[in-house]
Amino acid sequence: MTNSLKSQNDVKPNRLWLFGLFLFAVLLLFLLNIMLGSVRIPFKEVWGVLIGREGVRESWEYIVRNSRLPRVLTAALAGIALSASGLQMQTMFRNPLADPFILGINSGASLGVALAILGTGFVGGLFLPAANSGDEFTLALAASAGAGVVLALILLVGRWVKNSTTLLILGLMFGHATSAIVSILIYFSAPERIHAYSIWSFGSFSGVNWTQLKVMAVVILAGLALLLLLPKGLNALLLGEDYARTMGLNVGLLRFVILLSASVLSGTVTAFCGPIGFVGVAVPHLARNIFKTSNHKVLIPAIVVIGAAVSMAASLIAQLPGSQLMLPINVVTSLFGAPFVVWVLLKRKRGAASFTV
Amino acid sequence: MDPVLQTQSLTIGYKNGGKIPKVIANELNLRLNAGELVCLVGPNGAGKSTLLRTVTGLQPKLSGEIHLSGRRLESYHPRELANQVSVVLTSPISVGAMRVDELAAMGRFPFTGLFDRMSDRDWEVVHETLRVVGVDGLSQRYVHTLSDGERQKVMIARALAQEPHLLVLDEPTAYLDLPGRVVVMDLLHDLASGHDKAVLTSTHDLDLALRHADRIWLMDDNGQIHQGAPEDLVLNGSFAQTFNRAGVSFDPLSGTFNSQNSGTKMIFLEGEGTEAAWTRRALRRAGYGVEEEWMPGIPRVCVAALDGKTAWNLETEGREQAFSSVYDLLQGLNL
Repeated sequence: MTNSLKSQNDVKPNRLWLFGLFLFAVLLLFLLNIMLGSVRIPFKEVWGVLIGREGVRESWEYIVRNSRLPRVLTAALAGIALSASGLQMQTMFRNPLADPFILGINSGASLGVALAILGTGFVGGLFLPAANSGDEFTLALAASAGAGVVLALILLVGRWVKNSTTLLILGLMFGHATSAIVSILIYFSAPERIHAYSIWSFGSFSGVNWTQLKVMAVVILAGLALLLLLPKGLNALLLGEDYARTMGLNVGLLRFVILLSASVLSGTVTAFCGPIGFVGVAVPHLARNIFKTSNHKVLIPAIVVIGAAVSMAASLIAQLPGSQLMLPINVVTSLFGAPFVVWVLLKRKRGAASFTV
Repeated sequence: MDPVLQTQSLTIGYKNGGKIPKVIANELNLRLNAGELVCLVGPNGAGKSTLLRTVTGLQPKLSGEIHLSGRRLESYHPRELANQVSVVLTSPISVGAMRVDELAAMGRFPFTGLFDRMSDRDWEVVHETLRVVGVDGLSQRYVHTLSDGERQKVMIARALAQEPHLLVLDEPTAYLDLPGRVVVMDLLHDLASGHDKAVLTSTHDLDLALRHADRIWLMDDNGQIHQGAPEDLVLNGSFAQTFNRAGVSFDPLSGTFNSQNSGTKMIFLEGEGTEAAWTRRALRRAGYGVEEEWMPGIPRVCVAALDGKTAWNLETEGREQAFSSVYDLLQGLNL
C-alpha cells in the first residue's frame, strides 16, 4: 500500500527519458562546439586531444585546448547559471517576465565596465588604465565590481523592504538610473571607446581563458550549491509568501538566500561574458513546458541540462561554422531563441497560459 | 481543556510607521474550542481579514494576548506554529503546473527536512486528507485544470495535511457557485464535528453561515464582535443592527435580507405550497405588498396546480385573466 502510494509520486519514467535526451544533446553539442568553427577538426583528432593522445596536429591541439574547450565550458556554465538565476527570480517575484537581471545586476556590471572603458577618456585615466586595450580580465574585474556593488545593495535593501514588488520596482529604477549614467559616458566618449563598450555589451563566450574559467566555475558552482538548498522554499513561494510563512518557513532567510544565489550566478556570468540576455528568461519556461511541472525538485535539474544545451547551441551558431566570421552571442540567443520559445509555447494548445510561473 | 484559540483584550490593526497605530478592533475576548465551526461575518471593511491574519501570526497584534492551545502565540517557533494553525487564504492561487497531490503534499513542509524528503507516513497523511476532502480521485490531475470548487477543496486538503488543531480560512467560498459554497461549508462543518478540528472561517454568505456555523463572530463597523449561536444573534437583533443599511432589511423569520421596495401597491394572493411561495417573491419584486386577506378594491391572484400544470388567475375590477407562467402574470399586472 505505502509503496504504491510512494511510487506514483516519484519522478515519472518519461521525465527520466527527457533528462537522458537532454544529457545526450549536451554531449553532442559539446563535441560539435569543439569540432566546428573557422577550422573544422575531425572527431578523431578532437578525441585525441581530449584524452591526451600524442601525435595530434599541433595547431589543432592548440585551438582545442586554448580556444574551443574553454569557450564551450564557459558557454555551458553561463547557460546553467543564467537559467538558474532566472528561475529563482521568476518564482520569487511570481512574474513570468522576470530575468536574472531584473534587480539591476547587469546594470551595475555595465556601469563598472562603462566607467573602465569610457571613464578613462575624460577622467584622465583615473580608472583602470589597462582598460584602454579592452583587456578582458580588467573588464571582468570592473564588471564584477559593478555587479558586486549592486548585489550588496540588493541584499541590504532586501532586508528592510519586505514587499517583493517594491524590491522589483527599486531594481528597475536602479537599472534606469545606471543606464542614464552609461548614456552620459557614451555621449562624451570617443568613438573607438564606444565601440569597445558595445563589443562587451554584445556578450561573448570567447574571451575567457583557463584562469578566468576556474574562478568562474568555482563561483558558479557555489551559487548552484545554494540553489540545491532551495527547492522546498521555492515551491512554497509558488503559493505566495503568506502561505510559505504559515508552513513554518523563514521567509526572510529564504529571500536572502535566493537573492544571494541568483545575484552571484548572474553577476559572475555578466562579469566574464558580458550581459547575455534571453537565456535566463527563456530556459525556465522551456523547462516548465517540456517537463510539464512547476515543481522545483524537477525544474532545477531540468534547467541545468536545458540551460547548458541552449547556451552551447547558441555558442555553436555564433561561430558560423566554416566561416571566419563570428556573431555576438546576444544576437544569436534572441534571433534564434525567440522563435523557438514562441513555437514551444504555442504548441501547447491547452493550459499554456497557466504555465506562466 | 484549553480552548484551541483564545484572545484576551486583543487589539488588532496596523502599526503606522511610528505614528499612532490604526486600530481596527480592540478589547476582543474570543474563544474557539476544538470541534467547533465558527463563522466570522461582518460588512466589508470591518476588519475580518485583519483579525484572521493576526490570530494566525501573519500580522503582529497591537496589544492584548493570543493563546493557542494554552500557549502564547509569540512563544511558538514558526515550525511549531505551523503544526498548530494552517490557513486557506482568499487570493486565488496560481501555482502553474502542479499536480493535486504535489500541492497537497506542500502541507507536509513543517514535517519534512530541508530537502523535503517525504516519508511513507507523510504520503499517507496527504492521501488521507485528499480522501477526507473528497478529491482523492483527482490526485494526478493538474491543479490548473480543476474547477474553482475543486481547487478550493485541494487548498483545504493542503491545509489539513499540516495536521493543525486550528484551521483558518479567509472567505473560502468567495469564487464558488452556490452549490460549491454549500459543499465547502458542509465540508468545514464535518471537519469540525467529525475530525475534532477548530475551524474559523470568514464569509460573506450569511445564509450559509447561519445554517452551518456552531457559533458566529459578528464583526460590526465599530470593531465590536458579537459572539453566539447564529440563532441567538438573530433573536437578539445583532444581525439586523450590524447589516442595517438604507433600503435593506433583515427578516428574522426567514434569515434572509430583503430589499424594502414593497408596499406601495396591494395585492391578495391565494394559494399554497411552492407555487404560492415563488409567486409571492415575484409579486414583491414587482413592488406589491402581498396581503394574506382579501380587501375590497385590490387585485386578487389565485395560483393552483391542475392536472400537473400550474395556472395563475388574476382578478382586477371584475375582469378575470388566466396565465400559464409567473412571467406572463407580471406582464398582465403591468398593463
